[in-house]
Amino acid sequence: MKKLVSMLLVLAMMLCVAGVSVAEETAPAYDGSEVTITFYNTMGANLTAVLDAYIAEFNALYPNIKVEYTSVGGYDDVRDQISKEIPEGIQPNIAYCYPDHVALYNLAKAVQTLDAYIESDAVITRADGTTEVMGLTAEQKADFIEGYYNEGREFGDGLMYTMPLSKSTEVLYYNKTFFDANGLTVPATWAELEEVCKKIIEIDPMSIPLGYDSEANWFITMTEQYNTPYTSATAPHFLFDNAENKAFIKMFRDWYQEGYLTTQSLYGAYTSGLFTSTSDIKSYMSIGSSAGATYQRPAANADGSYPFEVGIATIPQVDASNKKVISQGPSLCIFKKANPQEVAASWLFVKFLTTNVEFQAEFSIASGYVPVIKSVMDNEVYAANIASADGGAYISALSTKVCLEQQEAYYTSPAFNGSSTARDQVGALMTKCFTIPDGSDVDALIDAAFADAIAECEYAVGW
Amino acid sequence: MSENTFKVMKQRNMRRISGLTEPMRILSQLGIYLFLFLMALIVLFPFYWMVISSLKSLAEYKLSPPTFWPKQVLLSNYADAFTTANLGTLFMNTMYVGLVSTILSLIITVLTAFAFARLEFKGKELLFGALLATMMIPGELFTITNYSTVISFGWLNTFTVLIVPFLVSIFYIYLLRQNFLQIPNELYLAAKVDGTGDFKYLWKVMVPLSLPTLISITILKMMGAWNSYIWPRLVANDDAHRMITNGLRNAFTETTGDVNYPVQMAAVALVSLPLFLVFVFLRKYIMSGVSRSGIKG
Amino acid sequence: MVDSKQQWKAWLYLAPAIVLLLVFTVWPIINTVAMAFLEGYSGLTKTGGDVTFKLGVGNFTHVVAHPDFQQALLNTCLLCVITVPVSTILALLIAVALNAIKPLRKALQTVFFLPYVTNSIAIGMVFAAMFNVIGSVGTRRQIISSYGIVNDVIMALGGDWINWINSGSEYWANMLVMVVYIVWNALPFKILVLLGGLQSVNKQYYDAAKVDSTPRWRVLTRITVPLLSPMIAYVIITGFIGGFKEYTSIVGIFGEKMGPVHDPGRLNTMVGMIYDSLERDNQGGASAAALILFGIILIVTMINLYVSKKRVHY
Repeated sequence: MKKLVSMLLVLAMMLCVAGVSVAEETAPAYDGSEVTITFYNTMGANLTAVLDAYIAEFNALYPNIKVEYTSVGGYDDVRDQISKEIPEGIQPNIAYCYPDHVALYNLAKAVQTLDAYIESDAVITRADGTTEVMGLTAEQKADFIEGYYNEGREFGDGLMYTMPLSKSTEVLYYNKTFFDANGLTVPATWAELEEVCKKIIEIDPMSIPLGYDSEANWFITMTEQYNTPYTSATAPHFLFDNAENKAFIKMFRDWYQEGYLTTQSLYGAYTSGLFTSTSDIKSYMSIGSSAGATYQRPAANADGSYPFEVGIATIPQVDASNKKVISQGPSLCIFKKANPQEVAASWLFVKFLTTNVEFQAEFSIASGYVPVIKSVMDNEVYAANIASADGGAYISALSTKVCLEQQEAYYTSPAFNGSSTARDQVGALMTKCFTIPDGSDVDALIDAAFADAIAECEYAVGW
Repeated sequence: MSENTFKVMKQRNMRRISGLTEPMRILSQLGIYLFLFLMALIVLFPFYWMVISSLKSLAEYKLSPPTFWPKQVLLSNYADAFTTANLGTLFMNTMYVGLVSTILSLIITVLTAFAFARLEFKGKELLFGALLATMMIPGELFTITNYSTVISFGWLNTFTVLIVPFLVSIFYIYLLRQNFLQIPNELYLAAKVDGTGDFKYLWKVMVPLSLPTLISITILKMMGAWNSYIWPRLVANDDAHRMITNGLRNAFTETTGDVNYPVQMAAVALVSLPLFLVFVFLRKYIMSGVSRSGIKG
Repeated sequence: MVDSKQQWKAWLYLAPAIVLLLVFTVWPIINTVAMAFLEGYSGLTKTGGDVTFKLGVGNFTHVVAHPDFQQALLNTCLLCVITVPVSTILALLIAVALNAIKPLRKALQTVFFLPYVTNSIAIGMVFAAMFNVIGSVGTRRQIISSYGIVNDVIMALGGDWINWINSGSEYWANMLVMVVYIVWNALPFKILVLLGGLQSVNKQYYDAAKVDSTPRWRVLTRITVPLLSPMIAYVIITGFIGGFKEYTSIVGIFGEKMGPVHDPGRLNTMVGMIYDSLERDNQGGASAAALILFGIILIVTMINLYVSKKRVHY
């Protein structure tokens, strides 16, 4: 009897669990009810102006959805604020996010999965009499740049947690004037880069040919390019301690010691500043965010011309026919709320921002970030902006253009609770290994550094 | 004895009795000045840095090696700072919170410090020790619990939430108590004999005697309102209640999550100016604290 | 009868402070202790449901097992023991010197207050810039584009430049920079308090000293210091408490890696341990780290109070 009862209980519990997950999978359609949705972002004044204009446009379609946004500060500020708000139940409806933020919020199961909303075929009538499908149409889905869209699914369970808003990647900035004058070709592979560095040092012995601004990005990108393990969304999470990864670190260490390259923290100052420097010591190549193109441009002369022209290319690859470049920049996540209409309204707004061609175009031009949908290229204003791309006044357009040309190359890393620790650790690992002095047991010290980094990561996920 | 004759006498005494010859005296004065100038230079340097940074373009700010004088003086940063951030509102909010919390905090501090310095009650030592101990807990931990507390009070996005939780500062109570303890007990006993009530004595004797310390507390408290960042961002980040540091930080954040430091520095310099003037004005009071004290003659 | 009236009155004076303290200080402390003994407690995880936190000392052992723990303990103690006396003595000398001059006193006083209106962002950045060596330090092909102002001065005086904070720098150099920065930061507050105290000191004591033809340094050690002893005790005790809570100043110079690039975590501190847990929303660990720190500060303050009881003259 007892057994039967307990079995029934277990059965009931299983049904309950199933019931919950089913409930999560349905996406109630927006019924026109009056709701206020809040949106946390990191936009500066130049971008909130764009946002304001498109909130007005959105409200013309959905006058009952009131959108309130707050510029919270930087990305980390958004994360810190929301992780304090979730336990109190006062988190916003929508927020700017990076994958590791979502992994943190997911400890509280606070982020709404979007699959049911994306697939919803409910038809909604808008204020202007037109209708739209609640979910994404096949064309809309296909319009997203695949690498960006897939970032929303990197959470280990195959479910969609985020929608991409605007993206950036890393690109190689080079001093085109110098390269042209000396007949140098832009390196497409790391092997070519080594050769170019050697030549540059022969030409200008006071230079450090390449500056790389983020060690963490560098390490993770190399694991992608070599196709070696880095992390996994499911345990065991930390897989980066392997011979292949040690080999490339050792190679780059040697280049660093030769003075071919430096990184932001090793150099002790912004590598973009080294690249645009007008003093004797400078670099001729710089790898940094595509959204920061204007910082990679030297200060204009009095007559408005630039001391040198900047060229932009894909970062060096292991195999130029199988390119890999990192995908960064903010996505949007939607938080669960008691009122399903709030969630539905939030989804409609997120969908509006991510699929509206005009918004994506204007936002991209204003921010220097890349739009996430391909059809933006057909937008007249945007096409004109891209057409004006050059290595001087329109450098942002040039960097966007390069980003768009390498669409197939974007990768994202798995996000889980501890992924940001892994990122910090591999970045530190890079610099730690680079600075191992000649004459010491380099291999042993590299082994030790890797072991330390793994230990720190494991410690961090201990709880 | 007038202040002047007193000084003359002082100098005469100094020369005659201490046996210092005139050149020696000048030399020692020179040493003092040299020391002060050197320290002043070191203290001034970051201030200088703030001002020149506020005049640079973001590109020049990121330049390596850094420039010690802007190549191109960008006064437009100040215009940007003024127009981008809603400085007027931010300033008024901060002033309001700063003033109200300073006044309330001073009242509470004076009352509490008086009780600990002059009144007798059971468990005084123990309670004071316990209060001191609370200073030792890192503030970050209070934040977590206090955040839940103010939400349950319904204080989110109010001025109350910016003022009330920080009214009691053990630092200030402790500082003022130290000061009160220095005032001779005889004065208190004499007042008691005269039939002066505790409160009147506190107000008429203790407070004027501790004016320099009270002004120090005022400055510290105002600065606290000016620089508070983490708590206001958490609990009152709406347009009606936003404080200056948050406003500045939000207004100059780039899309990349980077801060446009030069413009931010300009804004910081702008909002520091009134504070600086207030200080220059208050300094007189700090200095005159002594001459007002009743125990001199 | 009088006694109980006095009691009653004292509590009346204390009432506003006590009420506020109960809500915003005592309750958080109780909550902190509670969280510290729930293993792996996290507000987010709790919100997620279906987890129970075991009661135990796991949070404490987890903190102690942190790879940086011993180093952090050492750093925190070292910084305290060095910076508190240095900054107190310097502040005292400046306050006394300011009190001893007549022309320019007002101007100089203003200068020593300026740091109060200077934003902390600016101060952190300027110190890092002053000591920062920019270039490929310590590589086979060493190219240096800037030695930093401090090294410029050292070299102008004929010395060798020092790698203060960059890759390959030594521990003592890192610590020296931190000491300078922390002392600098602590000075204005201490000068403010000591000068305030000095202004309230009864001038008669000095007049007596003059009549006795006491030399200046004797006046300082025999009259000024004893008279100022309550204020000095105040700045020392609060200085120790602040010193044990050192964190932001290190982030200001070395960034969140809390150390030079080749050895992150080398300059970690006890509060760094708290942040390490808070970042991962592990409030149990953060609370445990805070309680450990609290215990340390409590012991040190007890010693301080004991010593000051013997030495402070009211």
